Amino acid sequence: MNFIIGYHTTQFGELWEKSLFDLVEEAINGVLKQTSLSSRQIDAVFFGNMLAGVLENNLHSPSKVSEILKVNIPIFRAEAACASGGAAFNLAKTYLDSNSNKNVLVVGAEKMTDYSPEETITGLSAASSGEEQEAGLTFPGLYAMMANFYLEKYHFTEENLAYVSVKNHYHGSLNDKAHFRKKISVEDVLKSPYVAYPLKVLDSSPISDGASALILTNRHDLIKKQRNLVSVLASEVATDTISLKERKKFDEILATKIAGDAAFKKAKINRRDIKVAEVHDCFSIAEILAMEDLGFWEKGEGGNRIKELLTMCENGGNLIVNTSGGLKAAGHPVGATGIKQIGEIFLQLTGQAEKRQVNNVRYGLAHNVGGSGGTAVVTILSI
Amino acid sequence: MIGIVSYGFYIPKYRIKTEEIAKVWGKNPEDVKKSLLIEEKAVAGIDEDSLTMAFESASSALSDIKIDKSKIKVVLFGSETHPYAVNPASTILAEFLSIEKNYLAYDTEFACKAATGALISASGLIKSGYSDYALITASDKGMGKTHDVLEYTAASGSVSLLLGKDNLLLEIIDFESFSSDTPDFWRREGIRYPSHGGRFTGKPSYFYHIEEASKSLFKKTGLAAKDFSFAVFHMPNGKFPVQVAKSLGFSMAQIKDSLTVNYLGNSYTASALIGLTAVLEKAKPGDLIYLCSYGSGAGSDSFVLRVTKNILKRRKEFTKVIGDKKYIDYPTYLKFMEII
Amino acid sequence: MISPIKIWRRQKEIRKILGKKGKILAWTKIYTPGTDFKKYAPYPVVLVELENNEKAYGQLVDYRDEDLKTGREVVSILRKVREPSIDGVITYGVKFKLL
Repeated sequence: MNFIIGYHTTQFGELWEKSLFDLVEEAINGVLKQTSLSSRQIDAVFFGNMLAGVLENNLHSPSKVSEILKVNIPIFRAEAACASGGAAFNLAKTYLDSNSNKNVLVVGAEKMTDYSPEETITGLSAASSGEEQEAGLTFPGLYAMMANFYLEKYHFTEENLAYVSVKNHYHGSLNDKAHFRKKISVEDVLKSPYVAYPLKVLDSSPISDGASALILTNRHDLIKKQRNLVSVLASEVATDTISLKERKKFDEILATKIAGDAAFKKAKINRRDIKVAEVHDCFSIAEILAMEDLGFWEKGEGGNRIKELLTMCENGGNLIVNTSGGLKAAGHPVGATGIKQIGEIFLQLTGQAEKRQVNNVRYGLAHNVGGSGGTAVVTILSI
Repeated sequence: MIGIVSYGFYIPKYRIKTEEIAKVWGKNPEDVKKSLLIEEKAVAGIDEDSLTMAFESASSALSDIKIDKSKIKVVLFGSETHPYAVNPASTILAEFLSIEKNYLAYDTEFACKAATGALISASGLIKSGYSDYALITASDKGMGKTHDVLEYTAASGSVSLLLGKDNLLLEIIDFESFSSDTPDFWRREGIRYPSHGGRFTGKPSYFYHIEEASKSLFKKTGLAAKDFSFAVFHMPNGKFPVQVAKSLGFSMAQIKDSLTVNYLGNSYTASALIGLTAVLEKAKPGDLIYLCSYGSGAGSDSFVLRVTKNILKRRKEFTKVIGDKKYIDYPTYLKFMEII
Repeated sequence: MISPIKIWRRQKEIRKILGKKGKILAWTKIYTPGTDFKKYAPYPVVLVELENNEKAYGQLVDYRDEDLKTGREVVSILRKVREPSIDGVITYGVKFKLL
């Protein structure tokens, strides 16, 4: 059995004073301190990052991390667009499945604010296919197509989508590490300018900097000693076509369904056992699709269900979603998100979620997606 | 007999009115319209250029007859707004049209008569037996400097002609060409807008070359203005073609259908050929059409064309197609022409 | 500068889908484009199912807002697709206009 014993995240936001590897160093030092481990006790590192090569010509990150930690251990980088963090975690867990008595550090990081929005948008569109890029389809454009399709098919409007952002901003207001800590209203969302019709600025996750780190272990001696211990019941990865046009359906992310089904099967629990979840809300529509594709809601009812706001803290719902603020309010430093999501579930399960703590949680789920649905990682944790 | 087997045209959807431009520069629109006889002109979109327009007109020319594309061994692209200073647009066009690869291609330039000169050369290549067909394209996204008279006249458009020996729509009965070194209108490498000699573009330039090329061809063929049903001239503005037609003995009735400049502007190399396209909408089998282009620098190509009965089956709609248009304002015009 | 060789390879694919009719399957309108597309914004992008059942993406040109509906019939045309660098190869590609 593999356990998460520690988690630390930097602030997410516009962190002008910090470079990418400043953030990596901060996250790593933070999690080592938390778990009272030294870098010499780490046996391998997995690093999730999407854009360093594209934006700042910075690759060979394993070697950079080796320089930071002053170690000579195996270090690997994972990239799956916005699922880079989740993919790094999955590789770390898989490493522990095949190597006993090891401590593994997983860190995800992204530096996005050193560049103009156009350059960053162009960089992010590397997650889409060549044809999509050639047609001038930005990343928001792809989700906007799915949103338009969904709203038309199930007879919803932009207003239904707005509730996702309202909920996630409320949660963000309870999270000191979130990029945005201001509450917003449905009207605020509807009045914000369009990014790609029908998605508006307030339907879209921001461009943020940040790094998050976790330590996993299967060492018996550590497992006995650590205060905070969360077991990894399942971590499953599924892929699908990079091109939206090649997918079988435009109103679902098949990779989520496959990874989700596999994760629940592996964990041997039901959807209703999950009381807290971090799902991939890069855009408001993405959270609705995620809830349906993970099996929490029926396909096509998302537009109505989100308006009930039962997935918001303190509303008495059975499943609270995106207490971190989601990607929308906590921010979306691409490579870090997957780690932050798992980290948030870790905090919830170990009672460390402070103002946004959900009570009586035993099982939690994290869901990380790359691109417009080309990769999905679903992780189920338990206390 | 060599002639035009098929033709195609493309005019972009957008139009800007003379008054829209005039009011920006504080000119009386009625004065401008009276002096140039242009109501509005066609403007290509921001993502259009001479090549994309050529593709449209050439696709149209190739669409209504079934020919073996491997028999098109000549592809010539005439323009004064080539996409590249060095790189043939003719091969880009041929590639997109799936014309493969045993063909002669080159791009031509002679201001507004780049394509008609190519027409003459190509007919020689067909007559010599080198090729059964030749595709000639005239295409321009005409530029004019802001606050200059060319701003009202320079327009966008394209015409493609497929030359051959069989199944002709128009027989090329005869042709002539007249050339000299006359600096009436020019553009240096790397300079965005053409320059011109003002009134020098009139009598010693446009009129002189058209008149001489016409007299030469009339003498050679023994024909005179009265023998023609239609006459089409290059149209730098609405006045010049009317004046030169009169001086050569043509009546207003013979040229009125060709005056596309009044509502489409001057699409440079495509100008006279657009006029021809408008005339073909009305021409009858047996009609003789007189076509005379003009290219600054300077020169004129003159042609005697005869309409065959095939026009009845393969005539293209012009007026209705041109009628599908959308007006734009001055800032949008500047944006489309990439001036801002 | 985009690799001219990539443009060359791509153009062979483009000519296969030129001049084909199709129906709009999904659409959006882009307001915040990447660097190479700034000049064209805002522009609609459509996902079209062509007559041969292949699918293709492209900007929709010469449109009015009320034309942006799934199911509308379009035809593929040739246009410049990207703002070229001042000294780079021009990228021609497929866009759509309404039938």
